Amino acid sequence: MPADILYSIRNLTVEYNTRAGPVRAVDDVSLDIHRGEILGLVGESGCGKSTLGKALMRLHEGLAGITAGELWFEGRDLMKLPLREMPDIRGAEIGMVFQDPMTSLDPVQRIIDHLTETIHTHEPGISNASARSRAEELVERLGIRRERLKEYPHQLSGGMRQRVMISLALALRAKLVIADEPTTSLDVIVEAKFLDLLRELQKEFGLTILLITHNIGVVAEVADRVAVMYAAKMAEIGTAQEVFGDPKHPYTQGLLKSVPNIELNGGDLYKMGGEPPNLLHLPAGCCFHPRCPFVMDICSQEEPVFEPVTADHLAACWLYRKAGAVTASGKKEARNG
Amino acid sequence: MAKIREQPSEALPEGTTWEAELKRVGFVRRLFMARRWYGADWWFVAVSGIAVVGFMVVALFPGLFAPYSPYALVGPSFLAPGAQVDLPILVVPKDSPINKLQDLAVPEGADRPTVAVVQGRPTAGSLNEQSQKIDGEIKNQPGGLRLRPVIDRYAKLEEALQAVVNGTDKAAVVQTTEFNSIQAQFPDLREAAPVAGGTATAGGFFMGTNDIGQDVLSRLLWGTRIALIIGFSSSLVSLILGVPLGLMAGFVGGTFDRLLSLLMDSLYAFPGLILAIAITAVLGPSIFNIIIAISVLYIPTYYRIVRGQTLCVKEEVYVEAAKSIGARSWEILRLYIFPNVIPSVAIIFSVNVADAILTGAGLSFLGLGLPPTIADWGIDVARGQRFIQTAWWMITFPGLAILLIVLTFSMLGEGLAEIINPRLRER
Repeated sequence: MPADILYSIRNLTVEYNTRAGPVRAVDDVSLDIHRGEILGLVGESGCGKSTLGKALMRLHEGLAGITAGELWFEGRDLMKLPLREMPDIRGAEIGMVFQDPMTSLDPVQRIIDHLTETIHTHEPGISNASARSRAEELVERLGIRRERLKEYPHQLSGGMRQRVMISLALALRAKLVIADEPTTSLDVIVEAKFLDLLRELQKEFGLTILLITHNIGVVAEVADRVAVMYAAKMAEIGTAQEVFGDPKHPYTQGLLKSVPNIELNGGDLYKMGGEPPNLLHLPAGCCFHPRCPFVMDICSQEEPVFEPVTADHLAACWLYRKAGAVTASGKKEARNG
Repeated sequence: MAKIREQPSEALPEGTTWEAELKRVGFVRRLFMARRWYGADWWFVAVSGIAVVGFMVVALFPGLFAPYSPYALVGPSFLAPGAQVDLPILVVPKDSPINKLQDLAVPEGADRPTVAVVQGRPTAGSLNEQSQKIDGEIKNQPGGLRLRPVIDRYAKLEEALQAVVNGTDKAAVVQTTEFNSIQAQFPDLREAAPVAGGTATAGGFFMGTNDIGQDVLSRLLWGTRIALIIGFSSSLVSLILGVPLGLMAGFVGGTFDRLLSLLMDSLYAFPGLILAIAITAVLGPSIFNIIIAISVLYIPTYYRIVRGQTLCVKEEVYVEAAKSIGARSWEILRLYIFPNVIPSVAIIFSVNVADAILTGAGLSFLGLGLPPTIADWGIDVARGQRFIQTAWWMITFPGLAILLIVLTFSMLGEGLAEIINPRLRER
């Protein structure tokens, strides 16, 4: 694993056991998260992006489970660790910020207790006073007055709570912060401030952030690289410039066209045809083919390979397979061989 | 619990606040209006909280409040509340050395003293009873004194007293009120001592006396102790067993949860008192067994509430967030789930104490609870029931006490529920 890669997901598959049978919410996804970057993970609701985020900390329980894959973090495969050692990594090395700050803090604990408890959990030797002063410094850095630490979550605004959640991840200098739709429940002004803060923190602490969102605008604003998921699979990955400037996958193209734009001048917004597929009954071949404007014969027969289109811009689409390199039948033979 | 709440401004005239309105309305109206005026019935909690503290003080120091011992036969039987005490008293000549009944004792073989009584009064009975009691105490002591007075019966009080003045009889045992009314005619006589018990004062008995002459009020006050001991300890035992079981079942889930829920539901299926009767019938009557029987009865209540709350809280995002910062299962249970579950437990506890007291009293009433010598409301009600036509006070006051204490704890529970658990309030 190259040194600049912090977290490497290899062929990860997460399945939910439903009454109708197992559903793959994340299907054979591979993804590298580089040190010190903000990686935006976008996709429609239900495409598996949050499931992927949780899987990075092996938080799944009950009906959901990781059925295959490797999770390389700092030279270790987390899948090989016993589950009871995961709490040492959660919080200390990988932090998480949840979608709804209104419900992600314990209503009967003071803010300060959330922070000191996190510190105590991972550094049992630390004194109360120093844990407290560390927490105070941290939240002041995030723009919350230290007096407010004595308050309960319901006394804080949504933006403040979200900053508290971030501070929980920062309290132990987590190397990777997974932010699962952190701004969805915030209004636009608070959202913009929060995104600025993320940027600053990333620079200041050298944080690596996986920003999971369905809001392409948010990603465009802060992300260094962008990954696009569609129907549990990775559709496209590239630098933000490349993905937004020259989207390769037809799904990404459609997604970008459907973002409201001031230049639209009241014209009709682009609507992608069709519906997101049912994960229980995925279409054969490329699962985007029923909605794809460039659909070809091969698309409904063969699954496209997720491969580089340019140097570090990958996409899973038959359009970019170099002409004549592998045909449908050739691909089959190659597989059989 | 469905309620419609109105704003104070709708119910009150301009310029008045609900505080001002509160002063004008009676307590009953206030209880109902509080709900509409400020959402929560904090009056319930305030009033019942004070009452609970009162009950506890009485239960801790019944001796301070009770005028008599709950077991002593301090007065005549069936004395109505507030009625004048008509205790038999010993009347002797002014110059007689006799000051109490014991002074009438003479050595074995000597002439037995004669005592005058009036026919048709209970005084002869009191005299016999007391003499035998004293005689039993003194006959084995050195000196060999015996107290076996000969009873002279007279038709009228005046005749009996005249016999004492004449010296025919050494003393007379007559009723206090009767003696007081004609004492002026007999200036040579004086009151020596009360014959029965010896502790009863002229103050009378506020709640009357029971069939064997015990003070109903004293028994009532001492009974508070038993009621609270049963209520609190059985609720506490249920809580200590039910809450952890509920937490574990909710948190762990799976087969453990199913088996335990099945067990608890089958316990819950029994009508409460019947199950308690069955358990005490097997274990035998004692306060400890009552507590066990009642706590078994109420474990499912705690279990179900706590399990449900745990299932609910477990799915909250903040629990997942706690996992994401590396909290272990034990920490999640202790720091996140338990504090969020405990307010509901406080509410059930209070209502549960009320229930337990009622069940305990029910068991005593049926004779399955405590030994009948103990001052207990259930026993007193059962005893009073036999004399309900002649002595209404015997059953009424313990009954009211049970009503009051149950009402108090229920009110406290409901009031707390309204204030602590707003989600319950909205329902």
